[in-house]
Formats: sequence, C-alpha cells, structure tokens
Amino acid sequence: MFKDTFDKLCWLFLIVVLISTVVLIYTNIGTGSEKRAAGPSKTLERELSYRARVDLINQLYLPVENLRKEGNNQTALLKLDELIRKYPTEAHGHILQGDILQRMGAFDEAISSYVEGVKLNGDYVDTKSPLSRRAEIQKLVDGGLKDVGPRVAANPNNRSLVIARQKLNYLKSRLAGGCE
Amino acid sequence: MKIYHLMRMFIALVVFFAIAGCKTEGKRQVVKIGYMLCNSEQETSQRFLPLTKYLSDKVGVDFVMVPVDTHDFEKRFKAGEFTFTHTNSLIYIVLRENQGVQLLASEKRGKLGSRSAGAIIARKGSGIEKLADIRGKRMAFGPMLAPTGYLAEYDMMLAAGINPENDLGHYTIPPGSYKHEKLIYGVLYGMYDVAAAPVMDLENMTRDGKIAADDLVILAQSKPIPYCTFGVAKDVDPGLVKKVKDALLSLKPTDTAMIDGEQLKVMKAAWIDGYEELLDSDYDQIRDMAKRVNMPPYQKY
Repeated sequence: MFKDTFDKLCWLFLIVVLISTVVLIYTNIGTGSEKRAAGPSKTLERELSYRARVDLINQLYLPVENLRKEGNNQTALLKLDELIRKYPTEAHGHILQGDILQRMGAFDEAISSYVEGVKLNGDYVDTKSPLSRRAEIQKLVDGGLKDVGPRVAANPNNRSLVIARQKLNYLKSRLAGGCE
Repeated sequence: MKIYHLMRMFIALVVFFAIAGCKTEGKRQVVKIGYMLCNSEQETSQRFLPLTKYLSDKVGVDFVMVPVDTHDFEKRFKAGEFTFTHTNSLIYIVLRENQGVQLLASEKRGKLGSRSAGAIIARKGSGIEKLADIRGKRMAFGPMLAPTGYLAEYDMMLAAGINPENDLGHYTIPPGSYKHEKLIYGVLYGMYDVAAAPVMDLENMTRDGKIAADDLVILAQSKPIPYCTFGVAKDVDPGLVKKVKDALLSLKPTDTAMIDGEQLKVMKAAWIDGYEELLDSDYDQIRDMAKRVNMPPYQKY
C-alpha cells in the first residue's frame, strides 16, 4: 500500500480531495441558508417581476394609448398592428384593440379581440389586477347581449350572430370567475 | 366452364368500375360567378380562381369565373351572363334594389372584419389638421362606385357642410388601376393636398411597409360599413344557394384548391380572412349614404 513514493503521493492527494470536498459542502450549506434568509422571498420575486411586466406593457403601449385618448383611433390601430405582430402572444395589444374597435363601431371584431386577450391573460377580468379592464368588458358584454339576443332570436339560423353570442357568453363566464 | 364464367364476371366488373371511376365533371352543372374587377382582370383572376375551384369541389358543380368591369356589372347580370355575384357593397345594393339579388355572405378582411371605413387623409405636417381646412385644397377621390373610397368620404364632407363640387380647389380621380394606392402616395408626395382613402388600404400599406402610421393625418373617418359581398340571383335553386353559402362560411385558412397542378391556399390567394353572414339591414348605412350623396341606385337627376 505504501510501498513507494508514488503510492504515498496518491494517498496524500486522495486525502486532500476528501477534506476539500467536506469543507466545501459544509461552507455551502452555511451560505445557502444565509442567502435564503437575506434574499427576497419567492412571492416578492414574483411581485417584482409582475410589476416590471406591467410597467413595460404600459411603456410599450403608451403611444397607442395616447393616440386613442386624442381620438385618433385609426392611427392608434395602425400603430397597434405593428405591436401585435411583434408581440403576438401579449394579451394587452388584443385588449387595447378591442377597446379601439368598440369605439370605432366594429362591435363583432371588438368582441373577438377581447376574447383573444382574455384567453391569453385572465388578469384583464380580475378586479385586483393593475391590468384589469373588467368594467369595460362587463359593459361590452351587457350591451352586447342586449343587442345580439333579439337579433339571434329573429335570425336563429344566422351563424355569425350565433358565434357573436357564444363569444359574449364566454366573456360573461370569465367575468363570473369561470376558467379557460 | 367455371373458369370461363369467372373470366366474364371479372371483365364485367372491370368495365363497371372503369365507368364508375370516370370523371363526371364535364357533365356537372355549370354555374357562373361574376367577380367585380378590383385593380385589373389579371389580379382579380389570380385572387379568386382558387376560391372558385374550392366552391366547385365543395358544392359539386362547375363554377366558372367571369371577371366583370364595375360599370358593366348590372348590365351583364341583367343579361344573364352569371348567376352569383361578388361585388363591393354599393354594387350589391344596386343589384338588390334593381334586380332582386339576395345576400349570400360578406367577406372578412383586415381589422374591421366584414366591414371597412372611408377616411379623409392629409400629409402630416402639411398644415391641414381638421376637416374644415380642406376648403380650397386639391383632393383625390377613389373610383366613383367605391363605398369607402368615394361614397363615405363624400357623405362625411356634406355632413360637415363642405360641398365637394363647390368648396374644393379641385378634385380628381387618379387614372388607371390601383387608384387607392395612387392617391395615398399622391398625398404623401404632394401631388394632392387631401384624399379619400379606404382604411383597408391604409392598413395594408402600413403592414407592407409602404407607408408609416405617422406619415398621414386622418381628418375624418366614417363608421365601418360592409364591404365585399357575395350575392345570388333571386330565382336560383335554394339547395344550391345553401351549399354555396355553407361552403363560404366554413372556409378555413388551411383549405386549398388545385390550380395548374399546384395546391394553393384559398384564403391566402384571395387576400381574405373568411366570410360572415351579415343581415341585409346591416347595409342600410350604405343605402342612407347613397341617398344623401345622390348615387345609384337612388340617384335623381
């Protein structure tokens, strides 16, 4: 076992490695727990990331919001088109588009846009969310069902009206707390 | 003997299946669809040939495409040159009022779906900021029978107390094809001060990068009104009408048609997003506009 210098060196190296491993493991356990104690909690991390996302969304869509507020709905829609193509899975663009289309009198397309947005992100029907558009969506659904209901009754075979009512009912169910 | 019988039976079966398998397309009913020309006959054919073939495949009759100039549409329909019609919404109303054409389906395209709107535009920074500023200016309109390139804008101007016949410096309609694009470029590059532009063209040109959303100022915009429309003559077999309507309303982005040995996506080729079932009363806004602007089919001399 310890016949020559090479054997002795091998054993010495092995012992050094073992001691280093034990020391490393011990120190890591110590610093890990300290880190957990000092660093932000998971909930806080989530909250920070959510707020950062909301801020980014507001910043990205600010030019569109401004155009809409000024009443330049068509220009806002053209600008928004660029953003929706750039961020197709971002719900905010669809919600904003729904709002603008509704103001322009394109009711069916507005409903479709809101449905698309709410499907992508349920925060828009959540009262507590800073992104909430619950009041607007509720108004659209109430007015829409009042308008579409009698039209469907008068034209029961009209597929487009039936689809419009289905979409309104979907929004209604999401407002009532239903899941996707 | 048994083998002889089997052989006879085999030959009879072969003949039977050969006849049954023959293409019967040549014997199918032939029905013509008149398509209103948009920019050129070539463009209209390229766009709607796959749709026509799709309808033939779905409905089981041989549909034939007939490209028709806008101004000849009613005359040629009246002469029985085609049974189904694909036109803009104003021509549909003319055909409905004068020839009893029935509404079949409305085409969806762009942000406003089965509707579009008319806009009066000026170049940003030109000093023209509101509709009242267009008095005495040079204006370009789209084709005279264009609902969102002429009718809607003319109506908005009358509503704002501006008579296009008296209150402008002058107005013109660009010659040749691609009138809508020409007049938008015309405003952008200073040939005209203001123009009547369909928002669908503004949307398409922005998407294609031909213009930027900030290049132009929209001085006024109409409410969205129905746009391209499929109609059918009043005396056509209701069974056939239902089949065509069903085929149009069920059209999906993945549906294809074989043209010259090539499978083409129907909706992509036609630049459309599908079809919708509107009510004839949805076209009343255009009827009201046509009456106010003194245009067909309500024109009074």
